[in-house]
Amino acid sequence: MPSRRRTLLKVIILGDSGVGKTSLMNQYVNKKFSNQYKATIGADFLTKEVQFEDRLFTLQIWDTAGQERFQSLGVAFYRGADCCVLVYDVNSMKSFDNLNNWREEFLIQASPSDPENFPFVVIGNKIDIDGGNSRVVSEKKARAWCASKGNIPYFETSAKEGLNVEEAFQCIAKNALKSGEEEELYLPDTIDVGNSSQPRATGCEC
Amino acid sequence: MDEEYDVIVLGTGLKECILSGLLSVDGLKVLHMDRNDYYGGASTSLNLTQLWKRFRGDDTPAENLGSSREYNVDMIPKFMMANGALVRVLIHTNVTKYLNFKAVDGSFVYNKGKIYKVPATDVEALKSPLMGLFEKRRARKFFIYVQDYETNDPKSHEGLDLNQVTARQLISKYGLEDDTVDFIGHALALHRDDNYLDEPAKDFVDRVKIYAESLARFQGGSPYIYPLYGLGELPQAFARLSAVYGGTYMLNKPECKVEFDENGKAIGVTSEGETAKCKKIVCDPSYLSDKVQKVGKVARAICIMSHPIPDTKDSHSAQVILPQKQLGRKSDMYLFCCSYAHNVAAKGKYIAFVTTEAETDNPEVELKPGIDLLGPVDEIFYDTYDRFEPCNDHEADGCFISTSYDATTHFETTVKDVVELYSKITGKVLDLSVDLSAASAATEE
Repeated sequence: MPSRRRTLLKVIILGDSGVGKTSLMNQYVNKKFSNQYKATIGADFLTKEVQFEDRLFTLQIWDTAGQERFQSLGVAFYRGADCCVLVYDVNSMKSFDNLNNWREEFLIQASPSDPENFPFVVIGNKIDIDGGNSRVVSEKKARAWCASKGNIPYFETSAKEGLNVEEAFQCIAKNALKSGEEEELYLPDTIDVGNSSQPRATGCEC
Repeated sequence: MDEEYDVIVLGTGLKECILSGLLSVDGLKVLHMDRNDYYGGASTSLNLTQLWKRFRGDDTPAENLGSSREYNVDMIPKFMMANGALVRVLIHTNVTKYLNFKAVDGSFVYNKGKIYKVPATDVEALKSPLMGLFEKRRARKFFIYVQDYETNDPKSHEGLDLNQVTARQLISKYGLEDDTVDFIGHALALHRDDNYLDEPAKDFVDRVKIYAESLARFQGGSPYIYPLYGLGELPQAFARLSAVYGGTYMLNKPECKVEFDENGKAIGVTSEGETAKCKKIVCDPSYLSDKVQKVGKVARAICIMSHPIPDTKDSHSAQVILPQKQLGRKSDMYLFCCSYAHNVAAKGKYIAFVTTEAETDNPEVELKPGIDLLGPVDEIFYDTYDRFEPCNDHEADGCFISTSYDATTHFETTVKDVVELYSKITGKVLDLSVDLSAASAATEE
C-alpha cells in the first residue's frame, strides 16, 4: 500500500478588518463580489479543486470569520496551515503596517517546523478604488517589505473587478502544495462523527 | 465596544461557547469576551509553557519534555460519549467540520485492588473475570431488558413503571450481586455515588442505554471519543460557529465588569473604560462571583508520563473508574489518560489525570489511590477548584450563569446545563434531533 498522498491543503487568509479578505476568496471560488460591507458574516471556509501536473487536490481556504477584528483568533484556526495569505488595502497605510504583526502572530500561533521557509503570499487589494487615486502604499514599498521577509510573492488585486485574483491564488495553491508535500504527515485514524448512521446494538452489552 | 448587543457572553468556556454559537445562529447579536488571551476559560487546554506558568509560577518547562506547542493539557478532562448529548450538539450545529476525533482505546474499572477492562463485546463479557458464570446469565437478562426498553412502548416495560420503581428495586428483580450492581452503576451508568439506587430507575436505565449505544456507535474499545489536539478545540470550534454567524469576539479583556441599573437589571459590560450595552448576560461563575454559591470542590492531579497506565493493555487513551465503595469514599475517583496519539503531548508522552470530588483539603493524600495506579510519573501537578451554582433570579437581573464543571468523566451534565440555560435565555426548547445545516439547506430551496 503506497503512503497516502496528501490531497487537502489548508490556506488561511489574514489581515486587518475591511481589507477584502472575504471578497477575495469569494471572487476566487465563486466569482462573486458584494459591495455591501459587513464585518464578515457567514464566511467560513471555502474549498476549490485545483490541478497541478495531472494531480487533483483540494484547497481549503479559511476566512477569519471576523475574529481578527479584536485579535481573537484561536490557535486552532492557525493549526496545520500549508500557506498563509497576508492581505492589506493599498488605500490604507495602517493595514499595510499591520502586515508585520499578522506575519509574526502567524509564526507564533502556527509554530511551523521551518519558520524561515514557511510560504507566505502577500496581496495588496482594492487597486480599483477611485481609479488608483486614493492609493497610499506604493507598489515599490510593498515589494521591498516582501523582499525583506524572505522574498514573499506579491500580488496587487481588485476583488471587485476580479483583477489578478486568479493569478494570486494559483501562486498560493502552488506554494501550499509544495509546503504540504514537504511536511511529514501524521495521519491518525480519525472517525467520522458527522455521519449519523448508527448500527443497531446487538446481543449482550456486558 | 460602545455598541449595543442582545447578549454579552463572558468567559469562553465550553458551555459559554456552545451558547454563543446557538444564540448567534438564532440571529441574536452576540458579543463574547474573555479576560484571558486564549479560548476555553476553565475548560481550556494548555501548552507546556502555560501549564508551568499556572502551576509552577515560572515559564520554563523541563527541556526533556519536548516543545511546548506539542502539548494540549486539558484543564477539565472528560471523554465524549459517542452517542451522548455533546455529539448531538456537534452534529446539530455542524461544528464537526472543524474537528477530528478518535475513539478512546479502553474503559476500565478498579475492583478489589486490580484493574479490569469494561467489556466492549459479548466475547469480552464472557471472558471477563468481573462476574461469575451464573451472575453473567442474570446480568445478560438485565441488559436485554435495558436494551429493549423504549419509553413509548409499554410492552417493553414488562409491567414496571420506571418513573416509580427505584433502581434498587429493578436490580433486585434480576437478582444481581452487589459487585455487579457496583460495576453497572459506576462503570456503565457512570454514577459518581450510590444515591441513584433509591431514585426512580428511569435515569439509571437511560444511562446504561447511552453507554451501550455509544459502544456500538463506532465499535471501538470503549464508548468514548476524544478530539485531536485536546478538549480545548471544542470551545474554539463553537466560537468559530458564533463568529461565522456574526458573533463578535474580544479576548484579553481584563476585568469585564457587569453594569446594573437602579433595579438591579444588567444593562452592559465595562472593560478598559468602554461599555457595551446589552439585554442579557451569559457567563461562567467567575464573572459574577457574588451571584453564585459554592456547592463542592474537585481535587485533581495532572501527570506527564512516558508510558501508558499500567494494566490498560498499552492503551494510548483510557479511562479507569475507581468506584467509591472500592476506596471507602463518598464519590468515585477517575483516571483519564490521553497521549501523543491524540496530538496532546510530544512523541512518546502521555498525559494522565486523577480526578474526584474533594472530601478533604489534602489532594495529595486523597488522590493517592489513583496516583498509585499510574506507575512512574515524570511530572505531577496537584490542584483543587471550587464548584459553583448560580443563586440569582435571572428574570430579575437578566444574568444567566453556568454551573461549574463537575468531576464526571463525560459531558452529559455539561450539555444538560447548556440546554437548560438556552431555554431560560430564549424561552425556547433546544431540539437536538434537528440537523441545523439540513434545516438551513431546506430553507434555501
